[in-house]
Amino acid sequence: MSDKNTFRLNRRTFLGGTVSGIALMAAGPVFAQGKTLQVLSHRVHQTSLGEGDADLLAAWKAENDADVIFTTLDSNPLMDRLFREASLAQTDFSVGYMVDNRPTSENATLFEELQAYQDADPIEDFGDIAPGLVQGMTIDGRLIGIPVRTATQGLFYNEELLADAGFDGPAKTLEELVEQCVAISAKGKATGMILASDLAVFPVMFARAFGGDYISQDFELLPNPAAMETALTVLADMFAKGALPRSYATNKGEELLTWMQQGRAAYSVLPFARMGQLSDPALTDYAGKIKVTAFPGSESLPAEVPMSSVVEAWAMTIPANAVDKELAWKFIKEVSSKKNTLGMALNGNGPARVSTFLDPELTSKNDFATVESEVLATARGAFPPFGEAARAQQLFLEEVQLAVLGRKSPADAVAAIQTRIQPLLPA
Amino acid sequence: MRLERILVNAGKTLAVVMILLWSLFPIFFIVSSSFKPGREIFAVPPQWLFTPTIDHYVTLWQRWGIFFEALLNSTIVTIGATCIAVIASTCAGYVYSRSSSRFLDSSLVFLIAVRLIPPIVVTLPLFPIVNNLGLADTHFVLAVLYATFFVSLGTVLMRTFIDQIPRELDEAASMDGATMPVILWKVIMPLAAPGILAVAVFVVVFAWNEFLFAFIFTGTRAKTAPLVISEMIGFIEGVDWGVLFAASTVQLLPVLLFVMAMNRYLVAGLTSGATKG
Amino acid sequence: MKTSSIWRMMPLLAPTQLLLISVIVIPSIYVVWLSFHASTYGQNATFIGLENYVRVLGDPGFHSALWNTVVLVVVAVHLELLMALGMALLFNSGLWGRRFLLVAVLAPYAVSEVVAVAMWRFLFDQGVGPVTVLMSALGLPALEWSYEPSHAMIMIAVLTIWMHLPFTFVILYAARLALPADLYEAARIDGATRLQSFRRVTIPLMGPAILVALLFRYIFAFRMFSEVWLLTGGGPARTTEVVAVYLYQEAFTYSAFGPASATAWIMVAVSMVLASGYILLLRRQVKNAA
Repeated sequence: MSDKNTFRLNRRTFLGGTVSGIALMAAGPVFAQGKTLQVLSHRVHQTSLGEGDADLLAAWKAENDADVIFTTLDSNPLMDRLFREASLAQTDFSVGYMVDNRPTSENATLFEELQAYQDADPIEDFGDIAPGLVQGMTIDGRLIGIPVRTATQGLFYNEELLADAGFDGPAKTLEELVEQCVAISAKGKATGMILASDLAVFPVMFARAFGGDYISQDFELLPNPAAMETALTVLADMFAKGALPRSYATNKGEELLTWMQQGRAAYSVLPFARMGQLSDPALTDYAGKIKVTAFPGSESLPAEVPMSSVVEAWAMTIPANAVDKELAWKFIKEVSSKKNTLGMALNGNGPARVSTFLDPELTSKNDFATVESEVLATARGAFPPFGEAARAQQLFLEEVQLAVLGRKSPADAVAAIQTRIQPLLPA
Repeated sequence: MRLERILVNAGKTLAVVMILLWSLFPIFFIVSSSFKPGREIFAVPPQWLFTPTIDHYVTLWQRWGIFFEALLNSTIVTIGATCIAVIASTCAGYVYSRSSSRFLDSSLVFLIAVRLIPPIVVTLPLFPIVNNLGLADTHFVLAVLYATFFVSLGTVLMRTFIDQIPRELDEAASMDGATMPVILWKVIMPLAAPGILAVAVFVVVFAWNEFLFAFIFTGTRAKTAPLVISEMIGFIEGVDWGVLFAASTVQLLPVLLFVMAMNRYLVAGLTSGATKG
Repeated sequence: MKTSSIWRMMPLLAPTQLLLISVIVIPSIYVVWLSFHASTYGQNATFIGLENYVRVLGDPGFHSALWNTVVLVVVAVHLELLMALGMALLFNSGLWGRRFLLVAVLAPYAVSEVVAVAMWRFLFDQGVGPVTVLMSALGLPALEWSYEPSHAMIMIAVLTIWMHLPFTFVILYAARLALPADLYEAARIDGATRLQSFRRVTIPLMGPAILVALLFRYIFAFRMFSEVWLLTGGGPARTTEVVAVYLYQEAFTYSAFGPASATAWIMVAVSMVLASGYILLLRRQVKNAA
């Protein structure tokens, strides 16, 4: 505290900092000219529209003198954010992507009714967009979202790792799948199967393989408790035998991709559209060796009951408190066109249009398009939407994890699921 | 006697090595891994000798342009928060140093008690308020939030530092007819510079690194760097760990160097204020 | 000083008080209001009295979150204190390159929670993490933090200690430096062994600093969020969920603002209880200084 010069210097530095700080705050961020449309979505939605030279919306942007700015978040935080934004007096986001198991009678009122927009300025061949998906976005008679993406779950496998363990093809039944996974893990080169523990999708698929379910479309909790118990027993057994990684309880959705790309797991359950990232030589040493097929049902599953895979659909919504709803609708209309649906499909987006699946340009590039459309035909959501769906999923997953890790018997876990989730269901 | 000294010295050396490993190894590891070629990051055992590459930084630049926008946002917010906190704390610290009354004593306790409220508590009501004021997703909101959670500490810190400046100095200036702002600016600020730097270190580190507020209050325009890194953790594909490490390194190094350069003021701040406010 | 000059100084006090009142105090009061109501998106709030508090206090999920928080606070903060104390005494015993070492010890203070989590997740990755590889090479069991709840808690504790050790260390080191050397000289002349002088001189005289560091860390560790959220997300099977994560989930995942607000006030209450001892200490200091 004795050297006067240092203080002067310090104050000048400090002053400089203040001035530049204020200047920076006043200047703010620099935006492109014209209008901007802010979109809240998952990153997958942004990338499927292409970037830079491959931007599918380039012409539309020029024509409308508009720029599109995406804010991307992971699935669960994205939904948290969308509802939070829509509940405010006003939001900057004019378009929000919503997953089909979230709209309820309560929160649907926060979004624009889109039928009026469709009547005034219709989307090309609207009837071609899968009617079931449109139905899912119609809440209390109000259409609140235009379906844009389907994510149908398929069974991905690494041919090389299968061959290593002496299997010349993927499993045809669930029993065979478990057997293969155990054998591959025993070989020690890779784990049999990688699943995420933070999504209901996976235990639901196993339960359905035995003819059970988590919550049926008419809100029946565990329509076949014995099937759920069998499913959890199988999963717990796989975990105990090392056919699932020890890190199962913290494996998140996005990690499945990494494990497959690195050849650390032989099997995984992922949306068909993820093939793009599993066949890119820049991302994986196993490009061309990773294939996809339908997730098999159990031998005990009666022939007339098809294995129902899980499908998740995303739709574009306009928050009722958005600023530029006209531009938002124009964007939705453009993204939903046949041309762009195909373009997005080629970029790895599961299309919402029936005709796009049959498009030769797509079938010639994706040899799995036929399998995917077959699986999609019998697929349904992991669970129907209701107010406490998020909380119910969390409780369900907690019990599933306890059972799989062997901390609770499958019977006790099923009983707990029953008693803990029943009060959350709509009356 | 000599044997004991050798043993003691060996023990000390071992302890020092352990301390260094504990404090620096994780940082060193992430920085060095950001220069490793893609698949060598996963090599078992880890490769200590490798040909450094800036591939991950190139990828970061090409594919994660938003990260660099976020860095700019972080810079703006950090500078803004620091200015607000420094000015407010210097003014208040001066008052608490130079005056005393029952009202001031209780307001100081209030100041400190308020800081004990966990930040997550105020996120819930602030979100709609901020939005109704049209301040959502602005640098201003983050700067004010960050400054607010440090003015208590800042005030107590500045009070301690200003206490060391002889009262006679400002009384003499006052006699010469200088007004309060002039006294603050010309007499107090220069002499309390170490205190100001100490406050600045705390605010800079906090504002640069903060996650929760940024997660809740920003969208596109004011998104900060830690937020983009947390998104990257969620989107790691294949060999992208390298990109994550590159982004971490870019986010980490400036503030690490700053803290190292300012360690004197950080220590002074921690010892004279942090535990009192 | 005269009352008139205090009023003259009010404008200088205003910015600080204004910030605190508008950003922290008023919203906190609004949280109290919310905690007595049931509300979610697209619904108006309805008054339900203490129901939210009853619901939260009766929720097994909250009990386990509270228990986990207490365990983490007790274990991590005390371990951290022991490490910091040991390091402070080591530094004080005369070390070569102390200045450099001090800077090195401070380094983790500059690291953001996000980057720290990325670091430690990778170091302890169960497949390729260098620490895991090293431990298995040494024949030690690996930390199975994604499977074993206790291992996950250890992982969180290690991360917390790593991030906050610089703080505790600096407080204790400064306190140790402030102890007058002649006391030790006197103890030595009285024939006290090193252990005795540590117990009779060091510990009692450093007592206040240790207490302050402890209380401070209790209060800040109790609000721990990002470490857990980014590292384990509360898993496996919600066994590492802490109170702040519970609050976040209620508020932003389940949109249940009532229970979230009640949780918030329970957090404030616990923080205040922890802090009351500290504020008492502080009031004495304020009085002494006056």
